[in-house]
This record gives sequence, structure tokens and C-alpha cells, in this order.
Amino acid sequence: MIFAPTALSPHEDALRHDVRRWLADTLPADFRPGLGLGGRHDPGFSRALAGQGWVGMAIPREYGGAGASTVERFVVVEELLAAGAPIAAHWIAERQTAPALLRFGTEEQRRWFLPRIAAGECFFSLGMSEPDAGSDLASVRTTATRTEEGWRVDGTKVWTTNAHLNHFVVVLCRTSAAQDRHAGLSQLIVDLSSPGVTVSPIPLIDGELHVNEVVLDGVVVPDERVLGEVGQGWAQVTAELAHERSGPDRYLSVLGLLRAFVAEHGKDLDEAAAEAFGGIAARLWSIRQLSLSVARALEQGEAPATEAALVKDVGTVFEQEVVETMRDLAAAEIDPEAASLFERLLAECVLNAPSWTLRGGTTEVLRGIAAKALTRGGAR
Amino acid sequence: MSDEGEELRRAVADVLRERCTPEALEAAERDGEAPGIWTALAEGGFPTVSVPESAGGSGGSVAQACAVLEAVGAAPAPVPAAETGLLGGRLLAAAGLELPEGPVTTAASPRLAFDGEVLAGSVARVPWARSAAALAVLADAPDGPVVVLVDPAATAVTPGRNLAGEPRDHVVLDGVRPLATAPAPPGAGDALRRRGALSRAALIAGAARAVAGLTVRYTGERVQFGRPVSAFPAVAAHLVRIAEQTELVAMAARAAAASAGEDGEPAGLDVAAAAAVASRAAGEVAAAAHQATGAMGMTREFALGALTRRLWSWRDEWGGGRPWAAELGRALAAGGAEELWPTVSRGLVSPGAAR
Repeated sequence: MIFAPTALSPHEDALRHDVRRWLADTLPADFRPGLGLGGRHDPGFSRALAGQGWVGMAIPREYGGAGASTVERFVVVEELLAAGAPIAAHWIAERQTAPALLRFGTEEQRRWFLPRIAAGECFFSLGMSEPDAGSDLASVRTTATRTEEGWRVDGTKVWTTNAHLNHFVVVLCRTSAAQDRHAGLSQLIVDLSSPGVTVSPIPLIDGELHVNEVVLDGVVVPDERVLGEVGQGWAQVTAELAHERSGPDRYLSVLGLLRAFVAEHGKDLDEAAAEAFGGIAARLWSIRQLSLSVARALEQGEAPATEAALVKDVGTVFEQEVVETMRDLAAAEIDPEAASLFERLLAECVLNAPSWTLRGGTTEVLRGIAAKALTRGGAR
Repeated sequence: MSDEGEELRRAVADVLRERCTPEALEAAERDGEAPGIWTALAEGGFPTVSVPESAGGSGGSVAQACAVLEAVGAAPAPVPAAETGLLGGRLLAAAGLELPEGPVTTAASPRLAFDGEVLAGSVARVPWARSAAALAVLADAPDGPVVVLVDPAATAVTPGRNLAGEPRDHVVLDGVRPLATAPAPPGAGDALRRRGALSRAALIAGAARAVAGLTVRYTGERVQFGRPVSAFPAVAAHLVRIAEQTELVAMAARAAAASAGEDGEPAGLDVAAAAAVASRAAGEVAAAAHQATGAMGMTREFALGALTRRLWSWRDEWGGGRPWAAELGRALAAGGAEELWPTVSRGLVSPGAAR
């Protein structure tokens, strides 16, 4: 393990304060914070944020980004998530697609997509899971067949967040029927406005409609929209996951809830409540240091995949414990229409919390990854 | 700081590896002391790291002292390494008193009074009091708290122990004349309490890492149903849980220690957070390790018990997790909603800065 405590430089700390101040000025006074990744889809906000240079900031300057470091991006993302800002529109494009394009994309793709991502104008969804391919991602059945025009894509993707609002989806699909199921996979960038794309909502238990099924029926994708190499989709997706895991989104879903708790109950904490709340804060503080140390390691060119899996597991389990502890402290029937912001957020948390240990790799899958590394002697 | 800490941890581990054998640990438990192990550590100057050289210590930061303690916890070395330097030594140094030769011990002493001549009262659960060369504690005097240095031979010591058989003695100081006294600087008691909690977090971090290594090794060798038990996902999940809690407590202890900077004291909220995290991690690591190692882990012969019995002891010392969590909770609540995230995220921006 390479977790080492790391300090923010004065420059990184100044950036944090700039973002914090800008958010305080920009978000309305009666703003209802989103639950981290559950922040609303608001293209206007994404563009305004991009105007500050804070979308796709790790993208090099020549492609329209700010050429910022991993830790600088970490700092900005932390502030956005802590505020519960409406980041959903640009989130995937900036966290996942931009690094993938930088790593695997063609020069032409970089020149076309990256400036638009950094401007907060080009939004992406992830097309990984399918009805029969969840944790076992390598069993995807969506196919891309070569045609004269490029590729013809057929299949069904599920859990595709905001596909009804975004511009593109990166589809993991089978481009050849290889024996080894990890071979023969490729990633294609599919324009969601293409003919043959049908997006329909999958209502979640809270009644929200931001997750979709995306049916691809003979969708034509030009050759220049292949991301990376044909047949290298599995390696590319695995590399992406190290970036997807361990970030601040894995422990800040509950920050808005904690802030509302302090605002409404901070003045009259008894010993038991102080102890419960302090225990939460202590773990939040430590998990954050772990996550920051992973960001620093990434910045220094390391690939801490096992550490990232551990942080995601610890972080998401922590978030769920927070909800239960807060529910105990609230000591009231949960009312989604309560006058109290704390109680409304608590209601939202209870309904959403199960997804936190599912999205981005289930707890069980993550522990499998970590256990493999541990028993291989990957840990000191 | 991390590389330097790693070097120090390795250096101490090298000294202790051959000495902290199962036989040596049993002997220490029987005799209530381990003079050979102490001498080896003391020759390297390790127990007095973080006590200024001008006061008779080895110099260095609180973070370096905690690096030593991680190695002491991992060995585990049955000696008052924390008490001699980070706790007692710094208490003496802050009051301008010289560190005596040999192992020093200290403990919280809320019921000790000093009338200018002799002491009155007792101190509970003093680590290795029976074999320490000196006892350094705070006492209430008419003009405010004083630091007193006492010869344990002049006191009445009733032996006691913790779950790991480490001496935790009851010391009666009625009528005892101190070897030296000096006015305590403001906040010396709180600072000692904080360093006490931090020392336990560092010891726990070290022991947890040793448990992690031991458990991975054992479950990789133990074969049932034709394969190593670590190949079963349910068992592997215990290994992951141990690794997670180990990294969490190590990070908490190191970050809190680093908050002291080169020559300061660790920050209050950081120590409170580390103490709360450590106390909980100790229990989780011990439980998961015992589940993963089955009946073998429960035997005296197997090295796990010497570590888990320490985890179960250290997690309750210097307050244990609960009062520290409550202190952190009260402080954050008093700061108000808008300051919650800024305070939690202040992290290590400016080590040593007042928080």
C-alpha cells in the first residue's frame, strides 16, 4: 500500500478557497444541496463553472483545459461535492471520458471533444452495464459489426445515467467473437441523437427518472468514433475504473446532510449525539486523507488500483453508516416533505444509500479486487 | 515526512524483530518487564525521540516519535516507549526539567496534590510503574499545576495489568517528596492527554499492520476443502476489512502526528479524530483477524493473541474513543454548519498551525 499523508500546497489551498467563494456567490441562498453525485443536471451551471476553468481542468491547455494536476482537480471536485453543487451534466465527461480520450483517443478526437468538454458543452454517459452484464462486465452482448460506413451497433445498455439529457455515450461492445471473453471488446463513442437510439427511463425506487435503458438498433457509428484500439476495450475500461474509484464522490454524498444536521441540531447536542456525530466526522476526516493520498499518487504517475478499491469500499460503507446514525439522531418518522431540510435530505439519503455501494463496482467486486492484491502479496 | 517515517519504522523494527520473540513476550508478561528489549531500544535513542536534545532526549518531531511507536506496536515491544519520550519526556521538557536515565512512565493524574513539600493522592493504571526509573506526572499545587518527577521506589506500587499482561500499576504517592518539581506550562494536562491518545493511535496502527500481515500469511497457508482458506470470498472479505481499517488508522495517526510540525504539539481536533478512528479500528481488526484465523488464532502459541490483546487494551487507554469522538463532535457543532467542511478539509495544509 502506498497511502502516505500528504499536505495541500499553498497554491492548492488557495484554489480551494477560490472555488468555495465562487460557489457561495453563485449558488442561490435557498439552494438545496444534492447528494454528491446526485447533484442536479444543470448545463447552465456546468458552463458557468467551465467559465472559471474548473471543468476538465486536468485537460492540457492545448486541448482547451487548464493543464491542472490531479490534486488540483481533486480540490475543486471536493468543493463542488461538499456544496452539493449541480454537477451531473459534465460529471462523466470530465471525470471519465476526458482522461480516456487523453489516454486512448486519436488526435482528431481530442481536438474535437476535449475543448467542448472543458467548455461545459459536451456531456457524456457511460454505456457499460447491460441486462445480463452487471458486475460481470465482460459478458456484454452489444455488438458492433463492420459496415461500409463504419460500424453498426446493436444491443441494450442499462443504468445509463442522464442518457436522456447528454450528448454522447461511450459504449462497451463486442467487435469480434473471441474465445477469451476479455478479448474482442471495444469502446465506441455513440451520438445519442443518432437514428436507432431509443432512450427510456428506468424509474428508481424514489420515483426519480435519471437512469435509463438505451436500446441501440442498427446505430451507425463512423470509424473515427472508435475510442482507442479495436479489441482493447477491456484493458481501457479497467484503466478507467482506477480513476472512477477512490475520488471524493465516495465519501461526500452525506456532507449536505451533516451540514444540515449541525445547522438544525448543533446547538443542543447531548453527549451521545456529540459522540455519534464526532465519530462520523473522525472517519470522514481519515477517509478524506486516504482519498487525497491516492490523488497524490495518481499525480505522481502511480496506478494505485487496489488502494482506490479500498477507499471506495471504506467510503461508501461509511456513507451508509452515516445515514443510519443520522436517522437514529433524528428520532422522528422520516418525512420527505418535512419543513426541516435535514429531514428532507435524510429521506433522500435513505432512499438512495443502497446505490452507493453498488455504482462504480459493488462492494463485493471491490473486495474481490482488493483481496486478490492482498493475497498476492500486493500489500506490505 | 513519509519516507523519513518509513526509515525510522524500519530501523526500530530491525532492532525489535529478533528480540520480541514469543518466548520474550511470555517472559515479559511473567516478569512485568523486558530489560533486554528496553536496553536495545534505548541504545538507539528511540524511546526519547521528540524530546529536545537540550532536555536529554534524542530530538525530532512528534511524527517521528509516532513512527517509532508504530514499530513498537507491531513488534510488539513490552516496554514504556511511549511513556518515556512522547508522553513523560515531553511533559518534563515543557516544564524545563531534565529527562532522567532509564524508562520513565506517566499517566493522567487528576487526583494528585502537591503542597510544596510532599504529594498526596494516587495515580491509577500507570504503565510499568514497578520497573520505571522515574514517574513524571502533573499535580495540583497552591499556585497552579506543577510537573513532578518522582522515584517510584519511594511510592507504594500495587501491581496491575492490562489484557496483554502489560503492567498497569496503582501508585500511591501520599507523603512522597518529589525528586524535582517545576510549574507546568499552561495547558500541559490537555497536551499530555492528547499525546497519550495519539500514542495509542500510533501503537494501534502498528499492531494492526502486524495483524494484517499475520492473517494474510496464515489464511494463505491454511488449506481446507482443498484450497487456501483465503481463496474463499467470505474469508477474503475479512482480510480486506483488516487492510482497510489498518490503512485508516495509520493515516489518522500519521496525519494527526504531522499536525504537530517539526517542534510543536499535535492539533486537538486531529488527535481527537485519530483517537476515535483508532479505538474503533482496533476492535474491527481484532474481530476480523480472529474470525479469519479460526481456533488457531485463539491459542497462546499463535502470535495473533499478543497483538489482539494489546489492541483490546490500548483502544481504551487515555480516554478511549468515545470521549474523543464527543469532544470532536462538540467542537464541530459549536463551529456551526458553514464551518463544518472547511474544518474537516483543513487537513495538513499548514502543519503546526494553530487550529
